[in-house]
Amino acid sequence: MPERNIEFGRYGAGGIKGHQAVARQLDALAGYIATPVTARRGLLARLHYLTRTDHARAAARAAGLTVTARTLRAWLQGTRSPSRKNLELVERAYRTVRRENVARHLTARLNREGRGTRVEIHPLNQSQVDRPRQRVVEFRTLNVRRWDRIVAAWAADDDRALDDAWIDQVVDLGSQWGQYEYVTNVGFAA
Amino acid sequence: MTDFGAIDALLASARQEAVLPPAGERRALREGLNLSRPQLAQALNVSPSTVGGWESGRDPSGEVREKYAYFLEGAKAKLAAETADAVGDAGDEESQDEVRADADADADADAADAFHSAAEPEAGQDDDLDVLAVPQPCVLCGQPACHQVAGFPQHLDPAECAAPGSPRPTVPAASVPAPSESARPSADRGGQGVRIVAAGRRVRPADAEPDLIHRAVTEALAQHAGDVEAASAALLKRAIPDAMALLDHTRRGGRYDIVAHPWLPDILRKQSARGADQVWEARPKWTRPELPPGEHAVTALDVNGAYLSALKTHLPIGQLEHSVGDDHDRRRAGVHLITPPDWEHDAYLPNPIGNRDEPGPLWVTEPTLRLLLRLAGPKYGLCDPPRIHESWTSGATEQLLEKFRVALKDARDRAIADDDEVTLEYVKAMYAKFVSTLGESNYNRELYRTDWMHLIRSQAFANLWWKAHRAYDEGLMVVRAMGTDELHVTGDWRAVFAEGRGVTEVKVKDTYTVGTDGPLSRAGTVIHPSSTGRDDA
Repeated sequence: MPERNIEFGRYGAGGIKGHQAVARQLDALAGYIATPVTARRGLLARLHYLTRTDHARAAARAAGLTVTARTLRAWLQGTRSPSRKNLELVERAYRTVRRENVARHLTARLNREGRGTRVEIHPLNQSQVDRPRQRVVEFRTLNVRRWDRIVAAWAADDDRALDDAWIDQVVDLGSQWGQYEYVTNVGFAA
Repeated sequence: MTDFGAIDALLASARQEAVLPPAGERRALREGLNLSRPQLAQALNVSPSTVGGWESGRDPSGEVREKYAYFLEGAKAKLAAETADAVGDAGDEESQDEVRADADADADADAADAFHSAAEPEAGQDDDLDVLAVPQPCVLCGQPACHQVAGFPQHLDPAECAAPGSPRPTVPAASVPAPSESARPSADRGGQGVRIVAAGRRVRPADAEPDLIHRAVTEALAQHAGDVEAASAALLKRAIPDAMALLDHTRRGGRYDIVAHPWLPDILRKQSARGADQVWEARPKWTRPELPPGEHAVTALDVNGAYLSALKTHLPIGQLEHSVGDDHDRRRAGVHLITPPDWEHDAYLPNPIGNRDEPGPLWVTEPTLRLLLRLAGPKYGLCDPPRIHESWTSGATEQLLEKFRVALKDARDRAIADDDEVTLEYVKAMYAKFVSTLGESNYNRELYRTDWMHLIRSQAFANLWWKAHRAYDEGLMVVRAMGTDELHVTGDWRAVFAEGRGVTEVKVKDTYTVGTDGPLSRAGTVIHPSSTGRDDA
């Protein structure tokens, strides 16, 4: 299985795309505000993060939070509260800005001055596959030295670029890399 | 009568077969002269593999046998002469004579004599000696030679023979291989062999395992010019990365990889940033409800290195898998949702699942479950078996951290024996911080095994429970069992537990008396105010 899967899950295998697992792990490492935006505490924390400096305000505007300064002030003071649509906007802007801010530091941590980071690839879940169709897919580890493209694609929230960047690394697993296009988990730490 | 003439000729040609030295010796003789197999084969006009066959047991026959015998004879004589030279110049002639006497000298005696007699180069009177018009390869060294003796081209001067291509071996007499031993130099040296281990593409002696702990301590002390406090502080700071490096080192060549970032089920994830996950570690926090009337001298015992010992536990290797049903596979380990059995012995023994207030099912770890199953077994029969509802388990081994634990324990024992406080503190920091940062800690990002963290802690608590049970079994009265390593007993505990600082021993934390009026109170008089302050948990 040297190539990408065409019809994944036809026989009951479970898993997510490798790049989604990577994005999930990078999200975990980025350390977002844990309280949801629907709670007042979570909203305030996000708004503070997005309005602390002029730079942050400009980044938030670029990320799509195009409300007036007056509205922002009203949200912060609690005289008005954002609509559900605006809450989503705040959440999306917050995640985008946070990713952008973290990306450079995260890249440096993961590259470790060229030594790279060991990545564990946990294979797809075959427990729902008929016994004759099950295959031996082992737990694999991989040292990824260049994270720049991966983290940049993740920061830009570009699924396609992230997939390409990740597959470029996964092909180093050898001719069987197609078995690791879908995984249960990709583990690494920064 | 021509018939008789032919018979005479046949009789004359029928000679006794030349005697060859044993097969093992032949190779040694050839190699002793630094001759290669093809060189000899060329001189004898056979193929190199034939020579190899002769050296490994086959015997040549016919004319070539005599040639080979002649070569071996000459080689033996030459080696013996070299040995004699190296041993000492005195008695040179005698030893050469001895060599000649030893040599099997019926047919080839004079030829051998002509060959090795460096003392008499003008052997022109020898009837077998010819001068060759075209130089031919010498039978001994393969280089062109201008003389032949009995039909064999060769150099007359041994120095000339050895000089051109192959340098004469200048080995001392002792290292000239004795013929019988040289075939397999290492076969019969079992006892004094060197134990080796694989190291990358090479091997290295097993004794040369670097002692990482000792080296770190030595370096820190050297760096801080012997300032013990500064060195200790520096070592404590690097305890976590050092522990991880030691773990990596001890897993080298191991059967299982350490899976550091598995997917974890939600029960092992914290509900909030500061919250706990759903696993109940069964930490004991038990005080005996009442003591018999009278005055009691209570001793607070402290288990040494409780977490260090608890590193030996059944740890799941890979990712945890879900299963449902009331069966326990002893080859797997993980966390289990159980309904704990009722505990009716709270008056004199702590509950093995600890001080749980909420009723109903709870997630416990493998050591707690095994403790409960063992207590429910026929040997103890202290409670009903727990009911298992569901499990997250993986194939388990007790050996995963065993080498790591033994390395730390050995370093600890050595430090205690040498009274080396720096190493002791360093080792303690290593295992304590290792256990506390195994999970989702920001201080150790190399290992995210929350399940192991819970299992190791629970193992420490289970170990403490067994100590309490042992005290009870031996007739002591258990007053308290709390924390990881603290056990309060009355009675002659020295008959039950050894006192000391080793991991199998206990030490006294405190002794106090409890008054005569029944319920336990710490208001009694303290006999020894906190005799030892150190806590090695």
